[in-house]
Amino acid sequence: MWAMISKEFRELRRDRRTVAMMIILPIVLLVVFGYAANFKVSDIPVVVVGPSASQAASLLPEPTFRVAEVDPAAGQTTAQARLRDGKAVVAVVTGGGAPLILMDGSQLFSVQTAEAALGRMAQSSGVSPRVEILYNKDLSTSWVMVPGLAGLILVFIGTLITSLGVVRERQAGTLEQLAVMPFRAWDVIVGKIAPYLIVAALDLVVIVVIGMGVFHVPFAGNAGTFALGSALFLLVTLGMGVLVSTVSQNQGQAIQLAFMLVLPQVLLSGLIFPISSMAIGVRWISYVLPLTYFIEISRGVMLKAMPITDLWEPIGLLAVLAVAVLGLAVFRFRRDLAPGSRKDRAAVPAQELVAS
Amino acid sequence: MPSLAETQALAETRAATRRFGQFTAVSAVDLAVRPGEVLGLLGANGAGKTTLIRLLLGLLPPSDGAIRLFGEPPSIETRRRVGYVPQTLGLYAGLTVAENWEFTAAAFRNRRAPLPEAISAWKKELVGSLPLGAQRQVAFAVALSHQPELLVLDEPTSGVGPLGSARLWEGIRRAATAGAGALVTTHNMEEAEQCDRLMIMVDGKVVAAGTAADITDGLLVAEVRTAQWSRAFTLLDESSFPVQLHGTMLRVGSQPAAVSGLLSHAGISATVESVPANLEEAFVAIVARPAGA
Amino acid sequence: MKWGLQDVDAARGRDLVLTGVTVPVDPSRVTVVVGGDGAGKSTCLEVLVGLLTVRSGTVLRPSKERIGYVPATAGLYADLTVQENLDFSAKAYGLSGRDYRQQADRLLEQTGLGPARRRLGGQLSGGMQRKLAVGMALLHAPDLLVLDEPTTGVDPVSRAELWRLISGAAAAGTAVAVSTTYVNEAARAAVVVLLEAGKVAASGSPTQILNGVPGVLGVMDGAERPAGLAWRRGVTWRVWNPAGTLPEGARPAVPDFEDAVVAATLASEHREQGR
Repeated sequence: MWAMISKEFRELRRDRRTVAMMIILPIVLLVVFGYAANFKVSDIPVVVVGPSASQAASLLPEPTFRVAEVDPAAGQTTAQARLRDGKAVVAVVTGGGAPLILMDGSQLFSVQTAEAALGRMAQSSGVSPRVEILYNKDLSTSWVMVPGLAGLILVFIGTLITSLGVVRERQAGTLEQLAVMPFRAWDVIVGKIAPYLIVAALDLVVIVVIGMGVFHVPFAGNAGTFALGSALFLLVTLGMGVLVSTVSQNQGQAIQLAFMLVLPQVLLSGLIFPISSMAIGVRWISYVLPLTYFIEISRGVMLKAMPITDLWEPIGLLAVLAVAVLGLAVFRFRRDLAPGSRKDRAAVPAQELVAS
Repeated sequence: MPSLAETQALAETRAATRRFGQFTAVSAVDLAVRPGEVLGLLGANGAGKTTLIRLLLGLLPPSDGAIRLFGEPPSIETRRRVGYVPQTLGLYAGLTVAENWEFTAAAFRNRRAPLPEAISAWKKELVGSLPLGAQRQVAFAVALSHQPELLVLDEPTSGVGPLGSARLWEGIRRAATAGAGALVTTHNMEEAEQCDRLMIMVDGKVVAAGTAADITDGLLVAEVRTAQWSRAFTLLDESSFPVQLHGTMLRVGSQPAAVSGLLSHAGISATVESVPANLEEAFVAIVARPAGA
Repeated sequence: MKWGLQDVDAARGRDLVLTGVTVPVDPSRVTVVVGGDGAGKSTCLEVLVGLLTVRSGTVLRPSKERIGYVPATAGLYADLTVQENLDFSAKAYGLSGRDYRQQADRLLEQTGLGPARRRLGGQLSGGMQRKLAVGMALLHAPDLLVLDEPTTGVDPVSRAELWRLISGAAAAGTAVAVSTTYVNEAARAAVVVLLEAGKVAASGSPTQILNGVPGVLGVMDGAERPAGLAWRRGVTWRVWNPAGTLPEGARPAVPDFEDAVVAATLASEHREQGR
């Protein structure tokens, strides 16, 4: 029996991907649950407007509230604009009696933290301000989750399932054959990716429709913006899927690698745990994950009706990522498909003369 | 008269039969492997070779008939005296040769066995990184590590080419000369000709047995030489004659008269001669016979 | 030669895998590349169809639409039915409806796969899979048919049927290149190229290779390995002296094709080691 145990250990030691998973997985989970998984937000940006702005600002307890902007000359419209842009989560509108506090309901946990803090403030000072929650009046979790789930589906299909589909071809030995058939490398690449693109797009529509129908999630913004963001994000995830397939020899390896790419995105993109509650040292990870930007777009469009001009940052970033990742993926995949010269297009026998 | 111990078969089946529900995988098979001999088992896939081996090793009980391994019904104890090399080699690609050796040695409680000279050069190499011929050498050495009296080898030289095959067979012969017996399954005619005796199985039954010479004895094919070989081939092929091309000469597993007749009828002039069939042609002819013929 | 490799050097990464290899492939002829594992057979064929570029030498091949190729890992789709596999091949090579249907039916009949039309590729036996793959490669009547170890591990009956397909292609005018580890298949070729460690150990018709064995060949008995060049054949040893006389106790023998191949391989190995 000992022979079995030591043999298994030896084999395991040499299986680099599994070892990596066994080491990386606990580390990721530790980091996430230690530093990132937190429902209490410790830093809420606030914009204060109206005549008594400075006074109100000074009353807000720090460090929970971080006063980002104080503008006595501005009014409610400006405050709401800031909330929609995402530049502030809470806005205090002073003037004309008790202050009005507006909160961005799409930042669910920030709002809950803010409410708690304001509640304590009200008790001690006796002042009861009016609170209005925008974009997600009932602070419904599903409203915040559904746009995120849409992204998750795109990640799964784009990265995991696409990589499996392409690796399957490599495993079966049919990839070599495709290279010899009269296909252009481009035909094969598009042919492999297209079905997954279509299925992912359909799934996306289904999720959004069910979200709207069953959970009454609104779709307040421009469908075109949403479509653009989704398309770009899908290209990024598909590119990642193809890349995974170019470095994997079989489906087992592909799953392992894809999993290691998907897991951090699930946990650190703001899908479940708010980014603003993550320790700064860990927050940078969120900013390199494509899903983070998609969720900004999907929540922004569905809940806050953000116009495309306000979303140029995440959209632009996704566009750049799409070009880079997909470009690299296609480059590597092409090498698998067309290592030879491209001179064999003549109907007449072609001679490949290569001088040494 | 040789004593009973000398003639006792290492592995023996008498009228062995195995059914799976309605399907009979092995039907009344008599088989014996004696010390020092190499028995080759030939047959199409699904002919029952694998099931027969499983019966012999005691991995499956027979539905009818008797199985004897070293004179008794197969058991874990008797299995210890068998060296088995499956087609997939039974080696761990992710371990080195030395580690594979240690594992098998430990499994057979044979820890002291030193790594044989022949494979010691590859001691620290990962089995997966060795070329196929070397892998087969290692698999064979590992199977022999506990000095088995019976070897069961599944396609031992598949894929290694003629010289590599001859080298592997040197090892098999050496074991046989030292008194072990070997049961070899193969699809390879050259390998079949390395065996002392052959058994051909079709649909679970033994349809031919004996040496290669016995099996090809009396079987003839028609050899056709003609300038219009491609027309002749196409004609014979389309008329369902079993024809094979050799260079520009044809060999047809049919009566020369029938072949001549067809060719002259089509206006193709050719010389048609009867020549002895080779083992592969004999095999195809035997296997194609309707049951009971 | 019409198609093939001419004095080709090829490398994978930094390793030179073929050195000065010539493999002629002509219409209506079957060229067999034979050798052990790692000898370079697959590499030759990959160079022939354009999957690998050469460092030096010439490669002659027709355009992609005129080539039919089956890699060693039988290229067919396990999750598609026999019919769907053929459909895919037809579309890839631009075969139109009627041409395709006739060809496909004929091929299904020749390969005996007619009744298995709707069976999934993955459910076919090894031999049937190979036949389907070869059928797919023949569907568009290529000028050059290239098969990489089509019969390794296949049972003898399926092997005979595959060779009928291959012969049929040659009879129809196709130039055929096949790689194999089985010597008796090489004996069937019009041209044999024996490879050993990336070099050509012998080349020519089977008769030429047979007549090309220098020296004397003999047979010896006994359990001990004879001195000199020797290899096992059944219960005897074959002994060979390329230049000189047979060792004591050896009976002279007429070499057959298998002897010629083993001798040529040994000679090539010795040339390598002598370097």
